[in-house]
This record gives sequence, C-alpha cells and structure tokens, in this order.
Amino acid sequence: MENTLQEQHTSQRYNAELEGLRSSVLTMGGLVEQQCRQALEALVQGDEELARTVARSDHQVNEMELEISAQCTDILARRQPAARDLRMVVAIIRMVANLERIGDEAAKVGRMARKLADGRDRESYCSEPQHLGQGASDMLRGALDAFARLDVDGAVAIIARDPEIDREFKTLTRLLMTHMMEQPQRVKNMLRVNSCARAFERIGDHAVNLCEEVIYLVEGSDVRHLSIEEIRERHSSWPA
Amino acid sequence: MSKQQSLKATEAIQASLKKRYARERRFQWYGRLAVLTGFVFLFILLFDIVSKGAPAFTQHYIKVNVDLSQEVLGLDPGASEQEIFSADYLGAIKTSLREMFPGATGRKEKQQLYRLLSIGAEYDLRDKVLADPGLIGHSSELWLRAHSEAGSYLKGQVTAGTAESERKVKDLQMTWLDQLRDQGRTESRFNTTFFTEGDSREPEMAGIRVALYGSFFTLLVTFAIAFPIGVAAAVYLEEFAPRNRITDLIEININNLAAVPSIVFGLLGLAVFINFFELPRSAPLVGGIVLSLMTLPTIIITSRAAIQSVSPSIREAALGVGASKLQTVIHHVLPVAMPGILTGSIIGMAQALGESAPLLMIGMVAFIMDAPAGVTDPATVLPVQIYLWADSPERGFTEKTSAAIMVLMGFLILMNALAVYLRRRFERK
Amino acid sequence: MDRAEQQGAAAADATATRRQLDIRDHVEPADYQTIGTPFVDDAKMTARNVNVFYGEKQAITNISLDIGRNEVIAMIGPSGCGKSTFLRTLNRMNDIIPICRVEGEFALDGEDIYGGDQDTVLLRARVGMVFQKPNPFPKSIYENVAYGPRIHGLAHNKAEMDEIVEDSLRRASLFNEVKDQLDKPGTGLSGGQQQRLCIARAIAVSPEVILMDEPCSALDPIATARIEELIDELRENYTIAIVTHSMQQAARVSQRTAYFHMGKLIEVGDTKQIFTMPRHELTENYITGRFG
Repeated sequence: MENTLQEQHTSQRYNAELEGLRSSVLTMGGLVEQQCRQALEALVQGDEELARTVARSDHQVNEMELEISAQCTDILARRQPAARDLRMVVAIIRMVANLERIGDEAAKVGRMARKLADGRDRESYCSEPQHLGQGASDMLRGALDAFARLDVDGAVAIIARDPEIDREFKTLTRLLMTHMMEQPQRVKNMLRVNSCARAFERIGDHAVNLCEEVIYLVEGSDVRHLSIEEIRERHSSWPA
Repeated sequence: MSKQQSLKATEAIQASLKKRYARERRFQWYGRLAVLTGFVFLFILLFDIVSKGAPAFTQHYIKVNVDLSQEVLGLDPGASEQEIFSADYLGAIKTSLREMFPGATGRKEKQQLYRLLSIGAEYDLRDKVLADPGLIGHSSELWLRAHSEAGSYLKGQVTAGTAESERKVKDLQMTWLDQLRDQGRTESRFNTTFFTEGDSREPEMAGIRVALYGSFFTLLVTFAIAFPIGVAAAVYLEEFAPRNRITDLIEININNLAAVPSIVFGLLGLAVFINFFELPRSAPLVGGIVLSLMTLPTIIITSRAAIQSVSPSIREAALGVGASKLQTVIHHVLPVAMPGILTGSIIGMAQALGESAPLLMIGMVAFIMDAPAGVTDPATVLPVQIYLWADSPERGFTEKTSAAIMVLMGFLILMNALAVYLRRRFERK
Repeated sequence: MDRAEQQGAAAADATATRRQLDIRDHVEPADYQTIGTPFVDDAKMTARNVNVFYGEKQAITNISLDIGRNEVIAMIGPSGCGKSTFLRTLNRMNDIIPICRVEGEFALDGEDIYGGDQDTVLLRARVGMVFQKPNPFPKSIYENVAYGPRIHGLAHNKAEMDEIVEDSLRRASLFNEVKDQLDKPGTGLSGGQQQRLCIARAIAVSPEVILMDEPCSALDPIATARIEELIDELRENYTIAIVTHSMQQAARVSQRTAYFHMGKLIEVGDTKQIFTMPRHELTENYITGRFG
C-alpha cells in the first residue's frame, strides 16, 4: 500500500508538485535533525562557535516552513487534493509546524550551550543530557525515515520510545536538582542544562507528533492524543 | 534544430499557398458560373412566359351603337323576361355593325365584319339588357367584347407586315379596326373573363375558373387524406414501431414509393377507384385520392425527419415527469416537429398542385365549362387546363396558356412562401 | 544523505509493483464484493443484483445498492462506468431504449418497481428526474411547471394549479426571479435558471425521489453553487440520487458516495470517508486523479 503514493497522476505536473512538496519536507527535516545533533554536540563539547551557528541557523528553518506552507496552500487551492493526497498535504502542514518548533528548541539549546561554554567545571554537568539528546535526535531521525518510507510500523515504534525519553528527562531533572543542592553556586547553569534537557524532551514529543502524522497520512486514522496502547490496538485492527 | 524545422515547414507551406488559393478561387468561379447559368435559364423561361402571358390579362372592347328597337330585337311591347332573354341580340349586333360600316356588302365581307366582335358579345348585350330593360326601344352606345383575333391586332401582336394569307385578321378588318381606334371606339380592359369563366372554344371567352375550383377541391381532398395518414404513419414509425425487419421493409418501400413515376398512380386510380369502386370519373375526389397516394411518401418522409430532429431531451423531460408515450408525442414532440411537418406537407401539396399526368389517366382532362360545386362534380385542374390550351391552335390560346402557367406558378410560389413563413414563425418560438 | 536513497528505493519498489499489477487492467471478477456500506437501515429505494445489458454488451454487473430516506447519494466514476445507466434504471428510463435489458430486483418503499402491475407512468411521477442538459419544454414557464400536475390531474382548478406552480418554483428557489414573467418561454431563461425550472417541474408532481443526471455539467460555477444549495434544501423532503462527474460536487452535496467502475459498484461509503480515506484502490485512484 505504501508504494502507491509513487504512482502517476493523470496530471504530471500535479505529480511533480506533490513529489516536490515531499522532498522539501525531507530537506527541512534533514536540516532540523542536523541542527539538533549540532546543538547537542555544542552543548556536550562546549563548542561555542558551533553553538552560535546553531542558535543562528533558526531563520533558515523558518524560511522553509513558510515556503512549504505556501506550497501546501497552492496545492489545496489549485488541485483540490482528495483522499491520500489530501491527507498528505494536511499532514505536511502539521508536520512543518512541528519541525519548525523542533528547530526552535534546537536553537534554544544552541543559545544555552553558548552561555554554558565557558562555565567552570562544565564537563561535570554539561554531558548529562548526552543520552537524552541522542535519544531525541534518534526519534526525530526515525520519524523522518518513517515519513520517507511511509512506514507505519516504524512510526509506531518511534511513538513507543517516547515514554523512555520522558523517564530519562525526569531522572536527569532529579540528578540536576541533586547537583544544585550540592553546588548552590552553579544553580544558574544547572537550570540552563535543565532547560536544554527540557528542549530535547520536547523534541521527542514533536517527533511523536510527526509519527502520528505519518500514520494519519498512510492509514487515514487520526491517532493524536491517543496512548501508545490505544494506537497499537488500532494498528492491529488495521487491514494488513 | 526544431526552429530550423519549423522554418522549413513555413517555407513549404508558403510555397503551396499560392496554388491552394488559386484552386479555391477556381472552384468558387465554377460555382458562380453554375449559379449564373441556372439564373439565365430561369430568367429566359420566366421572360418567355410572362411576355407571352401578360397580354392575356387584358381584353379589348369595341364601342358599338346598338339599335335595340323592338323591331330589331323582334320583341312585342310588354314582353316577358323569358322573351327578352331569348330575343335576337345577334341580329341587333349585326344590324348595328352594318350600319356603322355600310361599305361591307358582300357576304364574305359581312362575315368579316361580324367577326370583329366575339361570339360572346351577344351574351354581353343580353346581360346588359336584362340588367337594364330600359335600354329596349332606342339605340345606345355600348362596349362589346372584341373577337380574339381582332384583339390580337389591337394589342399589336399581328401587323399588316405579315402576308394576308398567313394571318386570320384580314386587311379589310384592319382598316375597320384602325377606323374604330381612331374614333376612340376601342378600349383595353382587365380581362375578368379569364378568372370568371370556364373553358371555351373561343379564346376570348375561355377562363380558368373551372380549373381553379378543380385544383382547389383536388388539393382539399389530397390534404384531407394525405396529411393525417402521413403524419400518423410517421409518428407510428418513428415513435412506436419496434425496429425490426418488417419496419425496415416498410421504410424501404416508402422511400421507393416516393420515386414511383406519377403516371403509375394515375393508372392505379383508374383501375381501382374508377373501374372497381366506380367513383365518378373526372371528379376532384378521385384526383385527390390519387394525388394523396402520390404525396403520402413525401409527407411521411419529411414528417419522420421532422420528428427525428426533435431533441430527445424533450421526450426524456416529458417521460421524466410521468407523461405517457402518447402524451409525450402529442403534447411535446408534434408541436415542435410541426413546422417541419407542415413544410414537408406544403411542398408535397405544391407537387400535387403541379401534377397532370395521373389526372389525365382518370379523366380530369374533359372540356368543362361550369365550375364544380363539390368534390364529385366533374372538373379539371390548372396543369391539365394548361396542357389542353397548349394543344389548341388559336393564337389567343397561346397567351392563355402562358397566363395560366403564371397563375399556377403564382400559387406554387405562394405555397412555398407559406412553408417558409410557417417554418420561420414556429422556429422562433 | 541516505534518506534520499531510501526514497529512490521506495520509488523503484513502486514501479516494480505497478508492473506486476497494472491498475488500469485491474478489474474485479464478476462475483466481486462491493466494499463499504451499500445497504442502509432506512432505505427508500433498494436495488439488488442488478445487471443491465445494451444488446450483447453488459453495462452493469451485479450491483446492489440502497438509497436511504432523505439522503443525497452521489454516484461517481469514470465515463462509461454505468453510473448514469444505474440511475436511469431507478425510474425505468431505460425502458425507452429498445435494446436495453434490465435484470435484478428494484423496490421503492418495498414495492417492486419492475413488477407487472407497476405502471411506469406512476413510477416516474414518484421518482422524478432532472437531466444533464436543462431541457425545459418550449412553452411558458408556467406551463413547464404545470404540465406534470395537469396530466396527472393533481389540480382541480386554476387556483390550485397556480398554487402548485408557485410552490414548486419557490422550492426550486426560482420564483422570485421569474414571478413577473411566468408566461414567457422557459427556454428564454439562463442555463442555471432553466435547470432550476426543470427541478421545479420535477418537484411539481410531488415525487418522493429525485434522480439527477449530472445536473450541473452545463452550468457555470455560480449557477452550480445555487443548484447545490438547492439540493441541500430539498434533502429535507426528498430522497436524491445524483450522478456527477465533478468529485468536488459529490463531496459537497452528498452524504453517501458510491464509486462505479466499469459497470461495477466498487465502493460505497460516507462521503467524508470516501474523500479522505477510501478503502478500495480504484476509488482512491479515481478521486485522487490517478489513471482518471
């Protein structure tokens, strides 16, 4: 089923427009993913230069969001897409909003990383979100892969990873609080690290949203605001 | 590359353009020539007929001082109407003519003198006297119909240039007529006789009244029979009949029937209606039936075409609101098809009006002087009348023939104009 | 970037799949199953196992479909898919085509409409029809509307007839536009007005079901919008089946949509579902404009 999206429309130009839209989203996704990884690297390595780059690369993502939204509006107005095409356009409109927020979160991490770059003893706490950030970035990557392949199973699997991220974030927060109590003079930096962790947790949530859109796109079923169990339950009832 | 190609194509097209336009112009000229030829022939025909026929619409009268004294008329004072009717008007005319031209003495000369006036002059005089008995007892100047030969001299159709032996108007008559004309005793009037009289041996007394009546009654019968039957047949074949071999056969036969020579219908009429059913011979009834047989295929074919051309959406619309088949046809299909049906019928009727061959076969060629009062009275029709007159040797009948043709063509044009008018009128709705 | 590679691979996969299964030639077998919900609880008309033949050619294969009370059902599908033919079987308009043969069971309120005792005239009064091309009679506007009631004897005097005509024209939302020219010919109206006149004409005989065969295909978008609005209003009192070539129109006016393909009823479902997530590949391909 997932392959039929590649089939030709009677109108070649329409076909090209939909394909263009899809690859734009993938490009934007790639950009955002790169931002996330660079933000994490800047934070962990204390690379001030990289952090500055990440903090500033935000506008590029914003531009892409505007451009893809315009493309979607154009297709809606001129082609009146139906069924899968309609779902794809609608899903993409929501996906770019999510991607843009991910970009914002990454930029936020970048800004924090810049401030944290010259903190004393930074190695002791700045590497804490390493695992969390890695997990969030992997989720984002997985979500984009699921979109590229229209892979519902992959998307469900990514959604299933979200609780893990949430748990990790909570653990990290507790850890940071312990650090703060131990070293009250570093509370400011600790809070900064915590908001970075918070940002990665948000990125994980956005990745979940992206996966939900992939499921909507492919299956036509809106799974937003459902627990993973409910999604699995529905998924098993879907015709193979 | 493609630019070169298109350049090449443009050159090739330009090269062929001149030839193509020339061919087109040539073709247009052929067409114009054809139309022109048609017009020339039509014009020659019309000119011939009109120039020959026009004089027939006028008739010459000669003013004669008729002595209507009782002695001449051979009447007693206080004579009854019957006696006045049968008085000797011919004698009175002859006497008066002799008085006017005392020079005519010999028997032959007198004969020529009397032949200045029509035989009908006697009846003219009688009618005048009957209308005004006060004329009896004295002389009065009266206009009397001229003989057709005298008329043709007065109309200038015959001149002294022709040798006397080759014309019927003799030299002596010419001098008399010249004298009369100089005295203002001749007059050209509109020829009412042509329309109010039946056939006659004398050209100046012959008219087309019988033929007009006959044609009218014949067409009436034709229309009364052919129109309802034709339309009903067309409606049935077009709307109700199943499409199968039998209806195909019927269709082929109707088309063939339209091509059958009309004289065959005449033979059929003679054999079936006159010999078998013993209907009256020479009657418009039989003529009408025969012509309706001939017209039926035309009416059926044109009616079917008219019904076919009614948009099927009208039928669907009517059926869609629950009209029955018959209601659909009568309320919607026929009114829309009517102009076409009427046009076809009128053209068929015009055909029937101009038909003579089948009517000859059923005896509508008789010499009839009295107009028919109904469809069973003997009558003749315009084309047959034309045929009869065309056969007559008298000069006067030549112009009558052409005049009758003009009348016939007038009616045909009128009927075709009616067809066009009806079509325009209904189509605008 | 390896994602691009994945994409390429997916595309290659798709091409291969398409080679195996060319959608254009992919037709259901004769004993196919219609996907979705062809049957409803409160059916106004029912059609079961319908086959229609034009001579030797089979135009409709084994279609079963209910038309629910007071619903607008849209029938869509490519040209020659049998949707119009099916529509016309519902008021036996196919009867006027000599070579057309209809098999199957049809019922209106449970009564057999192809039974021997069923009169086509009565049936067509109960199941009215509006055609593709506006086809008013070449008569006055009044006469167009009054014709049906007159032949069926629905009005007993002039006043009653006037009322029927006015009411029908009002329901067809045409009255205000033509009230001063009722004696003018119906053919003089604009295309959209003509079509509303045809709807008024159909309404005038108080039908229970109105069949519409591409009623807007000859109209401009504004006239189309008015007719669609009207269809929506008429739904309260009538059951409407509409055949349309415009998928957007089907999506706008109907509650249920049936997709026909090569004489078969492929899928029926709620319009919302058909247009956002059709279940059959052919439906999906048609409404998204693939192989249309």
